[in-house]
Amino acid sequence: MNSYLPRQVKILKIEEQSPIVKLFRITPILGNFKKNKNGLIFIPGQFVLVGNIGYGESAFGPLSSPYENEFLEIAVRNTGGIVTNYLHSLNEGDIITARGPFGNGFPLNFLKNKDVLTATGGCGVPPIAALIEYIIENRNNYHKIYLLYGAKSPDEILLKNKQERWKNKGINIILTIDKPSPAWSGHIGFITDIIKEIEIDEQNAAVVMCGPGPMMDAIEHIVKPLGISDRKIFVNMERKMQCGIGKCQHCTTGSKYVCIDGPVFNYDQIENNRD
Amino acid sequence: MLAIENKQIDFFLKKLSEKYEIKDTRNDVLPFKKYFLPRGQKMFQKDSLNGEIKIAKPPKKFILFGLNSAELLSLTYLDEIMSAPQKDFFYFQNRKQSVVIGLIESENNTNCESGDIVFKKQDNYYIVAINTKTGEKLIIQNKEFFIELTDSLKNTPADLPNKSIILNNENNWTKEMKNLLLDPETLKNAVELTRENKIWEELAEICLGCGVCSYVCPLCYCFSLEDKVELSGACSRCRNWTACTLPEFSKISGNHNFRPTIKERYYNWFFHKFVRGYLEYGASQCVGCERCKIYCPAKIDILEILKRIIQEYPKIKN
Repeated sequence: MNSYLPRQVKILKIEEQSPIVKLFRITPILGNFKKNKNGLIFIPGQFVLVGNIGYGESAFGPLSSPYENEFLEIAVRNTGGIVTNYLHSLNEGDIITARGPFGNGFPLNFLKNKDVLTATGGCGVPPIAALIEYIIENRNNYHKIYLLYGAKSPDEILLKNKQERWKNKGINIILTIDKPSPAWSGHIGFITDIIKEIEIDEQNAAVVMCGPGPMMDAIEHIVKPLGISDRKIFVNMERKMQCGIGKCQHCTTGSKYVCIDGPVFNYDQIENNRD
Repeated sequence: MLAIENKQIDFFLKKLSEKYEIKDTRNDVLPFKKYFLPRGQKMFQKDSLNGEIKIAKPPKKFILFGLNSAELLSLTYLDEIMSAPQKDFFYFQNRKQSVVIGLIESENNTNCESGDIVFKKQDNYYIVAINTKTGEKLIIQNKEFFIELTDSLKNTPADLPNKSIILNNENNWTKEMKNLLLDPETLKNAVELTRENKIWEELAEICLGCGVCSYVCPLCYCFSLEDKVELSGACSRCRNWTACTLPEFSKISGNHNFRPTIKERYYNWFFHKFVRGYLEYGASQCVGCERCKIYCPAKIDILEILKRIIQEYPKIKN
């Protein structure tokens, strides 16, 4: 097995999500993505490495339903780096590469029969979106689901076109933005007010998070006051994933490898990590 | 017991060079890892016409000669590291093409187990240890260079003075370092618990962050995947050496750096060798070869640092 070998994929669709974020729908040039024994092509929270030979690869958490094997969707923020800049220059029909999925996803079984509070900010929403798609497919196995999603401004809220469908499937969505904006009447910041809107059984609830900055705010202001123990908080971490198989050392944090021990960690595993 | 005389070694290598490429590592600054994890090794090439991705071909069969006991030990470690959690395709593509011959000059060292063949100095000869079938075949095909050592030859009184000199062949630095490495648990605790110690700030003042310590280490294997575009339009992906002390090592797109200071990066170099590596493989990721000390432009001595933190950490412990 050669895990470094990327697979050629075709861009089926490109969708502008915000001024700097595009959604890419990709499909293998031959056949479909392979399903595991549970019928999933990845576990929500895992990542794939997408790019092209000559440009490099970056890590993305797929956002589409893991049951969908004909295509996979990622959201790419143009950071000005070589890979994301290259991806933003492409058109539908272009061929790129992908490999993976890598790492550990969210603990789907642990979350069963619990209230699940998902919290994310900015570009951290994709793995949470895949989890929501998974939960929707298995709705009876999960209790109340909340999506707490913070963005800098209203036009930076991603996946708006999916949110209506999620709401209809019983997902409670709470949006918040960083600073007041003329067209915005919703929440501003991760303020304690939000707690009033969340009605969960803290004894039987788990928290799933992705995204660095707003995530910490959310923990501080919302999750801790709700009384959910660290053991039931899961965090999807970001580092420089390069090889994807625990060799190159770029994604290490303390004694963990984000690419194989994560990217999903239990909060008490990383809480005191200073690396 | 099979042996080879010192003067026969070069003739033996000359004979082997008729069939194999010989990589003689005896006077190399960069360690043998460069043959298994070559700098800038091409992994994939994309055809500029049909876009097909081709895997780079393995090298020709080669003889890797002259690994000393520290290097043989690091070869054992590297083989293990590159096997877990899954096999590194390109490392083993190169590794499979090699026949490794070790050369141990000091007598008080017992590590002859890795490599295909090991020549180990004893009295006026090098005793031949054969570790693999490949090694055995090579010796049989070239038996004219080897002699069967009889007991009378082995124990001539004239050899005794020589023996004591050889026993002292290892310098004090190596002896002291290898002694510390016998207790990797202590080294792990010492590094882990001194994170906030001022020693790392002092070192950050001296360390140039040049990465030489990693490049010359026979065991440092971290790498970067680098892509290239040629004028012809051909694209390739290569694997290049890197060093965790370099500023770009943990930097991601958008310019966020998870280890922005030399202090954090230099500490991570120790943390990998003595904490993360130990937790993964049960041994410190150091073989006491002295290379990082010899080639460090800032004259940082790994042994001195370890000795100091071993003294300091019990004070911190709970």
